[in-house]
Amino acid sequence: MSIIELEGIYTAYEGDDKPIIKDLTLNIERGEYVVIGGPNSAGKTTLLESINGLVKITHGRAAVCGFDVRRSGHDVRKKVGYVVQNFYFDPFTPFTTQQVVMMGRYGRLGLLKRPLEEDYKAAERAIRLVGIEDLAQKTIGTLSGGQQQKVMIAHNLAKEPEVMLLDEPFSNLDFSAREFLQAILLDLVRGGTPIVIVSHAFDGLPDIRIHLVVMNEGRITKDICCPARAVEDIVRKSSLKQ
Amino acid sequence: MLEPLITNNVVCHAVEAMVFASIACSILGVVISRMSLASIGFTMSHAAFAGASIGMFLETNAQMAAIAFSVGVAALIGPISDKAKMAADATLGVLFALCMAVAIFLISYMQYLGKGLSASSLLFGDVISLYREEIYALAAVSLLTIIFVLLFYKEICAIMFNMKIAQASGMRVQVVYYILLFIIALSVALCLNIVGGLLIFVWLVTPASIASQFCFDVKSMFIVAPLVALLVSAFGVWAGFEYTLPIAPLVALLLTGTFGLAVMLSTKRRVTTRRH
Repeated sequence: MSIIELEGIYTAYEGDDKPIIKDLTLNIERGEYVVIGGPNSAGKTTLLESINGLVKITHGRAAVCGFDVRRSGHDVRKKVGYVVQNFYFDPFTPFTTQQVVMMGRYGRLGLLKRPLEEDYKAAERAIRLVGIEDLAQKTIGTLSGGQQQKVMIAHNLAKEPEVMLLDEPFSNLDFSAREFLQAILLDLVRGGTPIVIVSHAFDGLPDIRIHLVVMNEGRITKDICCPARAVEDIVRKSSLKQ
Repeated sequence: MLEPLITNNVVCHAVEAMVFASIACSILGVVISRMSLASIGFTMSHAAFAGASIGMFLETNAQMAAIAFSVGVAALIGPISDKAKMAADATLGVLFALCMAVAIFLISYMQYLGKGLSASSLLFGDVISLYREEIYALAAVSLLTIIFVLLFYKEICAIMFNMKIAQASGMRVQVVYYILLFIIALSVALCLNIVGGLLIFVWLVTPASIASQFCFDVKSMFIVAPLVALLVSAFGVWAGFEYTLPIAPLVALLLTGTFGLAVMLSTKRRVTTRRH
């Protein structure tokens, strides 16, 4: 059984007549490195948010980590990490890096439950893994965009997710930080956690087989496995054809 | 409760009411301000005002009507935003206008009918004519607010940080959000008699804004905001009685003045200045 099974799904924002995602079928296995490419407004972010149930699936069948997304989106989100795109934290945000990373555990904990020793340890591990120990006591609003991006990645790693979704995770990162993040993601994949990345930057993908999904106008136009070096070319050609 | 300290019953009731109103409103204000939901407080205060007008028009308990109407409006905010595909602020604007219209319509109509209703107690409060039961209710809502923050502290922090990220991490943010709206509605409706529908906004926003000038973390904001509100309100009550001044507007002015002072003395401003 695939860890992500989408079968003929349609996704629409409430009140919209036209669905954003149309008749989309996609299976993702454990340990896969999935790249979602395509032009702007292709529905890539909506696909990520359909997988974790943040956007409502109106038709079709969607199962993630063994849960029906339409019925148990909340349970799905406990097990799926999601690094959102375009976040902004104002300079006076009164939360430190350590607190924000710890918040990644809150969904797993459930309502009214206090964090335990293991939760603090998981947050510390995530901070170490992303290499932001020196930022732990700084408030997140005072960090640079790249540092905030790292904090949000640590926030999701602290969750110890079964699936990791990342929306443009490299957008704020410099070259060395990208390489560092790629190494972390590769470790996750090797450990069996599938990662699904929406990105326009394909340079620096790890040298492994990539599950490439190209989207346009809410539909999948290509769903193949290919070497990392071929990704950019395939996405470009697919986008030009459309 | 404070009778051993304050012998005058009227003054004692006024101080107690101000203390409890300060605690409830300023704690909620920390959440409201951080979530940029100041218009929720604004709408709720006018919903309570409209509810009290309905209660008076129907010749029933105005406070119960205020509570019922505020809770009803709180329950409408989420669904209206979702169904009408509107930003929460626009929904609040619509509801605020509705509440004001209902209140003004009923007050004018009652005056036309010769019922001779004075809206001033609803608009500006009347802290010196409170019943003991009203003070007990305020004490209960203050306690409820403190319990809510203690029980849901981690959820409240996550929502204050970023609602979408909290939801994506698998938290039941809607549950906490709706409880928050309910407690705001309850607090505002109960405070209507003390500070009035127009001035309660000051209690919801200003103490939290003062605290935010000095506090770098949420925990200290939850302590400093009620402390500031409590001290300024108690001083305002004393000054009001001592110099025969209208108490609620006086406390509102004092809080606003304290805010101005806080902005000038803000440690955050000093940090920013040093950086440049």
